Amino acid sequence: MTLKECYAALGGDYDEAMGRLRSERLVQKFVLKFLSDGSYDLLCQSMETEDWGEAFRAAHTIKGVCQNLSFTDLGKSSSELCESLRGGHTPEADALAQQVKEDYQRTVQAIQTFEREMGG
Amino acid sequence: MKNKTTRFLTISLVGVALLCVLVFSFLAVHMRKQSSGTINEVGTLYMASMSQQISMHFETTIGLQLDQVDALVQTVERERIHEDLAIQKRLISSAQALKFQYLGFYTGDGGFNMLFGSQLHVTDPDPFLESMREGERKVAIGTDEAGNSVVLFGVPTRNESLEAQSCVALVAALPVSYISDTLSLDENSDHVYSFIVRRDGSFVIRSADAYRSNYFDRVRDLYEEVGGRSPEEYLEQLQEAMDNNEEYSSEFTIEGERRHLYCTRLAHSEWYLFTFMPYNTMDGIVNNLSQQWTVLAILSGGSIVLVLLLVFMKYFGITRRQVRDLNDARMSAEQAQREAEQAQQEAEHAQREAEHANRAKSEFLSNMSHDIRTPMNAIVGMTAIATANIDNQQHVHHCLKKITLSSKHLLGLINDVLDMSKIESGKMNLNMDQVSLREVVDGIVSICQPQVKAKNQSFDVFIHDISTENVCCDSVRLNQVFLNLLSNAIKFTPEGGRIEVYLYETASPKGEDYVQIHIKVKDNGIGMSPDFVAHIFDSFTREDSARVHRTEGTGLGMAITKHIVVDAMGGTIDVESQQGKGSEFTVVLDLEKADVLEEDMILPNWNILVVDDDQPLCETTAAALQAIGVNADWTLDGESAIEMVTKRHHRGDSYQIILLDWKLPGADGISVARQIRRELGEAVPILLISAYDWGEIEDEARDAGITGFIAKPLFKSTLFNTLRQFVDDPKTERVKEVKQQHDLHGRRILLAEDNELNWEIASELLSEEGLVLDWAENGQICVEMLQASQPGYYDAILMDIRMPVMGGYEATQVIRTLDHPDRDLPIIAMTADAFAEDVKRSLDCGMNAHVAKPIDVGEVMRLLEKFILNQ
Repeated sequence: MTLKECYAALGGDYDEAMGRLRSERLVQKFVLKFLSDGSYDLLCQSMETEDWGEAFRAAHTIKGVCQNLSFTDLGKSSSELCESLRGGHTPEADALAQQVKEDYQRTVQAIQTFEREMGG
Repeated sequence: MKNKTTRFLTISLVGVALLCVLVFSFLAVHMRKQSSGTINEVGTLYMASMSQQISMHFETTIGLQLDQVDALVQTVERERIHEDLAIQKRLISSAQALKFQYLGFYTGDGGFNMLFGSQLHVTDPDPFLESMREGERKVAIGTDEAGNSVVLFGVPTRNESLEAQSCVALVAALPVSYISDTLSLDENSDHVYSFIVRRDGSFVIRSADAYRSNYFDRVRDLYEEVGGRSPEEYLEQLQEAMDNNEEYSSEFTIEGERRHLYCTRLAHSEWYLFTFMPYNTMDGIVNNLSQQWTVLAILSGGSIVLVLLLVFMKYFGITRRQVRDLNDARMSAEQAQREAEQAQQEAEHAQREAEHANRAKSEFLSNMSHDIRTPMNAIVGMTAIATANIDNQQHVHHCLKKITLSSKHLLGLINDVLDMSKIESGKMNLNMDQVSLREVVDGIVSICQPQVKAKNQSFDVFIHDISTENVCCDSVRLNQVFLNLLSNAIKFTPEGGRIEVYLYETASPKGEDYVQIHIKVKDNGIGMSPDFVAHIFDSFTREDSARVHRTEGTGLGMAITKHIVVDAMGGTIDVESQQGKGSEFTVVLDLEKADVLEEDMILPNWNILVVDDDQPLCETTAAALQAIGVNADWTLDGESAIEMVTKRHHRGDSYQIILLDWKLPGADGISVARQIRRELGEAVPILLISAYDWGEIEDEARDAGITGFIAKPLFKSTLFNTLRQFVDDPKTERVKEVKQQHDLHGRRILLAEDNELNWEIASELLSEEGLVLDWAENGQICVEMLQASQPGYYDAILMDIRMPVMGGYEATQVIRTLDHPDRDLPIIAMTADAFAEDVKRSLDCGMNAHVAKPIDVGEVMRLLEKFILNQ
């Protein structure tokens, strides 16, 4: 699996990422780093404890990271979640959080697959 | 209405006045008549009582005399007749004691045996004698010997002895004046006079002025008519009454004088008393009374009429005022009605407008839906194609390019709609900032050039009379205005067309602190119909014709432009357009001068030649050069330029610098430069004027001997900054490219960012540009790091907004109030929130600028250059 295929699998824009980061080395470096980013855990945790302010910030961070890495799908769903939490909890937030969860898992799976194949 | 009332009032007034006159006239006449009748009655009553009084007085007086004579007679009868002499003596003495002046016996033959006094004669003896014989006492008139009239008092005697001597009565007499004296006939009153007549009319005692002996004769002789009757008729009535022993009363006018006559019979005699009363006095009094009455009547009538008139006038006045008030009320009612109608019309008009706007919105929505669907379809379709050809990299690449284009287009549409909805809800606000017109125009030119090039259009910017480059304005919105106008011009001008931008300043009516900026965008494109020009600035409209359907956009561009210029910036926007000939938009803005001091832009007293085929450009450039202390000549073509340069060169007074247009008629700038170089050698710098990116021609130009480039538009500052480089070493053969390439190598930036991944990405990218970055994991740490740093250690801060512990807004506010020399260093916000409100809030918190995530290194570097190097 190439990095480009990995991007296709997680719903991202490889060309855009390349345009921004300029080299495949950097893209790969940051994509792999994404696995260790704690924002998603923070989001899950604060949704759990109903700390909506913190959840909003976590969603916002995920959105920012995804924009930088051009993870389009996750960026979109996290952005929507972010907006739904901007003024506190809203009824649609939970469904959007579910969407974020799916996109995140898809993204992580794609990256892990990529990492495994690269390692292997 | 008014006339009717007036007529009614007038008629009423005249009627009432007439009635008054009639009533009072009637009263006057009637009372006059009544008073005349009353006077008659009063006269009659008065006369009757007066006459009775006189006649009773007469009767009493005469009766008394007769009684005295009767007493004398009885004395004779008691005392025996035969003592004649004694008796006679007693009679005489008694009679004299009784103041009789005559006394005698009346004989049956009518003679008198006088006892004393002169012989008497009865004037009318027959009735007297007869009465005596019948034993009736009587009074009569007679005369004495001397002819004096006397009154005789006869009392019959029944003495036999006397009868034997044919003596029938004893008669005593007094002078006639006795009667008139006793009855006071003459002096009774000034107004009333009386006289006594016999049955035949002869006077017994007459009034002073009556010289005839008979009253009847007098009447017949003197008067032609008596009280409307002939004298005979009057006398007949009078005599009839006398015969019947009735009292007679009459009233008549004699000798112009109204008189009242009262006639009554006197006792003991054949006489009648006539009493007259003239009415003169009474008439006078009554006339006086009736005159007063008449005057009073007229006065009261008049005063009533007067009062009526006053009341009428007053009422008339009130009525007129009421009519006036009514008129006023009517007029104001009409006015109100008119206003109501007008208001209704306005309301209807507003309703129509609202409906129209609604319709326009619906149409717009349907158009928009279509417009949005088109790029969306492209995106969806291209995505499908790409997916189907996922292994064909070239094909996918092509699809992605199309998708990117469509996305950008879609984003533009959505941005427009968002802007419009912001304008419509009144939420558009300006971020006033110091703006360099030069930078704005430079930016616009570089943005537009690719499109202009693509359509092979000629594009020129003319700048003149710009004395103040730096103004206060919202640069983003100003850019938007420029871009909207220019992109329209480019869009609606066919290939090979011409687009011109003019920019100049005039004095502002708002005062010395302002300048008036005129922006003119002119094209020779398809133009617009007059109908469309009228609606060009309305929201949700677009020229609806087949040729325009090919072009893209929301149609909101001009509405947004108008809102920015007119509503937000208080300027004006005008358009002139002719179908098939082109359009010309003019924007006029009054902008405050920015308070930065412009550099003292003075260059040495050089001679510079400007060569350009565009005369306005030559003129404005020459003027700008004069303003910075340079002598400038200009010419329009290459041949004359070479001529001028050669001529001066031979004079030993060469131009210090030559500005040469790239595109000239006949020969292009590069070949002209080559010829000049041939003439002058390498000594004189030649700069090529170009509006376009000169990368393509740079090598050729350098080969031809071009020293450098100067970018259009030629602001004063552009000229100064470019030419300044030749001051120190004007003989420099080669200069660096004029375009400023600022170097930030080694600059130290503090980056506040809570996410490690983001930090690494930013750090990686910016380090490649030569920057040195320090990481602060949140706002609090950022503040602390700055606080702890040496002054001047950090050149700028890149600040994330959403961070734990302390956010970017708060951190900026704290930094701005720190007690640290670098507290005013540039802070640039970097956040995934890219709404205008976020931008505004960043600036409000004291940040210098705002960039949106994902990170765009070019943009970040541009801003860093701007703020760090301007410090």
